[in-house]
Amino acid sequence: MSERMMVLVLQLGVILIVSKFVGYVFSRYLRQPKVLGELVAGMLIGPYLLGSIPLGSFGPLFPLITDSTIPVSAELYAISTLGSIFLLFDSGLETDLPTFLRFSGKATVVGFGGVILSFLLGDGITYLLCSDVHSVLAPEAMFLGTVCTATSIGITARILGETKKIGTPEGVTIMAAAVLDDVISIVLLSVVVGVASVEMNGGAIQWSVIGSVAVRAIAFWLACMVAGIIIAPFYTKGMKRFHSLPLISEISFGIALLLAGFSEMAGLAMIIGAYITGLALSQTDVAHSISTRMQSVGEFFVPVFFAVMGMMVNFDALKSVFGFALIFSLIAFLGKLLGCGLPSLLVGFNLRGALRIGTGMLPRGEVTLIVAGIGLASGAIAHDMFGVAVMTMLVASIAAPPLLIEAFKGGESGYRKSLQRPEQKDRVSIELEFPTTRIAEFFTESLIASFIQEGFFTSSIESVDPTWQIRKENTVLLLKLLKGKEDSCMVSIGCGAEDQDFVRLMMVDAMADFSDFAQTVSSMKNEEMMSAKLLMQMFDEA
Amino acid sequence: MRLKNTLNPNLVKIGLEGTGKEEIIRELLGLLKADGKLGDIEKAFADVMEREAKMSTGIQHGVAIPHAKTSEVKELVACIGIKKEGVDFASLDGKPSELFIMTLSPKDRIGPHVQFLAEISRIIKKEEARTQLLEATTVQEVLSVFGL
Repeated sequence: MSERMMVLVLQLGVILIVSKFVGYVFSRYLRQPKVLGELVAGMLIGPYLLGSIPLGSFGPLFPLITDSTIPVSAELYAISTLGSIFLLFDSGLETDLPTFLRFSGKATVVGFGGVILSFLLGDGITYLLCSDVHSVLAPEAMFLGTVCTATSIGITARILGETKKIGTPEGVTIMAAAVLDDVISIVLLSVVVGVASVEMNGGAIQWSVIGSVAVRAIAFWLACMVAGIIIAPFYTKGMKRFHSLPLISEISFGIALLLAGFSEMAGLAMIIGAYITGLALSQTDVAHSISTRMQSVGEFFVPVFFAVMGMMVNFDALKSVFGFALIFSLIAFLGKLLGCGLPSLLVGFNLRGALRIGTGMLPRGEVTLIVAGIGLASGAIAHDMFGVAVMTMLVASIAAPPLLIEAFKGGESGYRKSLQRPEQKDRVSIELEFPTTRIAEFFTESLIASFIQEGFFTSSIESVDPTWQIRKENTVLLLKLLKGKEDSCMVSIGCGAEDQDFVRLMMVDAMADFSDFAQTVSSMKNEEMMSAKLLMQMFDEA
Repeated sequence: MRLKNTLNPNLVKIGLEGTGKEEIIRELLGLLKADGKLGDIEKAFADVMEREAKMSTGIQHGVAIPHAKTSEVKELVACIGIKKEGVDFASLDGKPSELFIMTLSPKDRIGPHVQFLAEISRIIKKEEARTQLLEATTVQEVLSVFGL
């Protein structure tokens, strides 16, 4: 036991060091997302490449585990799963719930389009190109069809998060459709497993069993979504009584872990439960604070997940079926690009938006591996076809991120209508001009502190001008520092019309404190003496 | 809801006797003290006057909202005073103040203090509400303006 733990911590140490370093090189010098670097790091140090080289009497650091479909140790895989839960919980927190709900109908169309076309193309091309597959209903064809259907929400979420696009109409549609894709894929998998076992072993297809698995998965997903959305505001309100933001964050992650486990029990992937928890909390005023805290811890675990994904790639198994795998990967690529892109044109997106959604749905990952793994374990597919699935995942995971980043370049919206919500029309902005930026910054700092005293949660937002979101329950304020003529600077707070009295009173009090502070400073008589003393002490002999 | 928890008939006085800012503030603090909501009245007075020194809380239309943070209260407290004749409270429009709404909140305690003040301000912003308050002859009539 202690030796296994020792190996695990050594493995984690090497994974963190190498994946962080390669990730840095990818983002700094190759202008690629860090996630790609982490995947490549995993491939390099994994059991199929450098990891299998024995290190003297210690043996290989990443020995190939042969009695399982996963080539790494169960404990390392467990840590990487924790990484995926961190990632999806945070992605949920960063998703804007009202936009998510508004786009979930469109996402359903996009998700179904992608699944249906991908399955048909994957199944069809296997039947056409593999001489030993004699029917489109053959287990091998159906498994490979299913392999094409699941989108890796993890990779997409990381890229959308890194590029701050997760809240755009396209970003939200991709996230919603990818979640739905996983749900549909798992349901499809249960159907395929049922049909395949009959094809291989004879007997009648048990539609009632298949049906109950499907119903359970869908019911769990819907029930958690609805319950989460209703309960989350009450939960955070109750938790705030403890006056500890760290406590709220940590307990919330505990809930995410519980829901992830229940999700697996219901036959869905764990990440779905984690995502739903984050999504339900995203509507609350503490969402940003929890997310900031989660991200700092997640930075240690998430790279392990991507590195372990990279470690799954078996380069040897690919050799014999390389040609087929390449064609299959391209078909799988087209299945998602067209299957998701074309329906999005029908639900209000323009060509740019369709391209973004199509590319956003390209990455394959954990669910692809789960499907292929089940196929391999059940004997429906052999190692070579498992290799095809892995290569499909690999091609999509390597090709999709740069394409996705390229597709999202430029600020134009990919959605035909304006995204402005009706309530945003009644917003007003209250402004105060200061002679210099430095004074404005100083005032802003004490104003933010007063809002925190008032029970608000503040977070800085990346924007052209320095911007903060100040939030408490349904009150959302946007504080901006706007540069004026010469060095002058404007402190501007955007708020709902009903909150303007409150904002004015807050600014008045902050201003009163500020002028008092300024008077105190100007009444200081001995600041020159204080500085002189500091300098003189530098030259005092010891 | 917050108004209901904070105000009660003991915390309303029609016909304040004071004739200057300091006297009015002392009288309002007296209401809070009598209702058992205030510790040392002198310390609280010093805190309110310190805030007034920074910027007067006499606003417009005869309304003044003296407020401060003080260690002499354990939770947000408020009281209302009316003086129809008006008192010079160094208000923004230079006119005498007739309606006084005082709020005190504890130091270093996070809570919706200014939001409470904004909630009251929203009510007395309406001229109709101010007239009703000035014409009120009973405490209950004053409280009814705030929906209590």
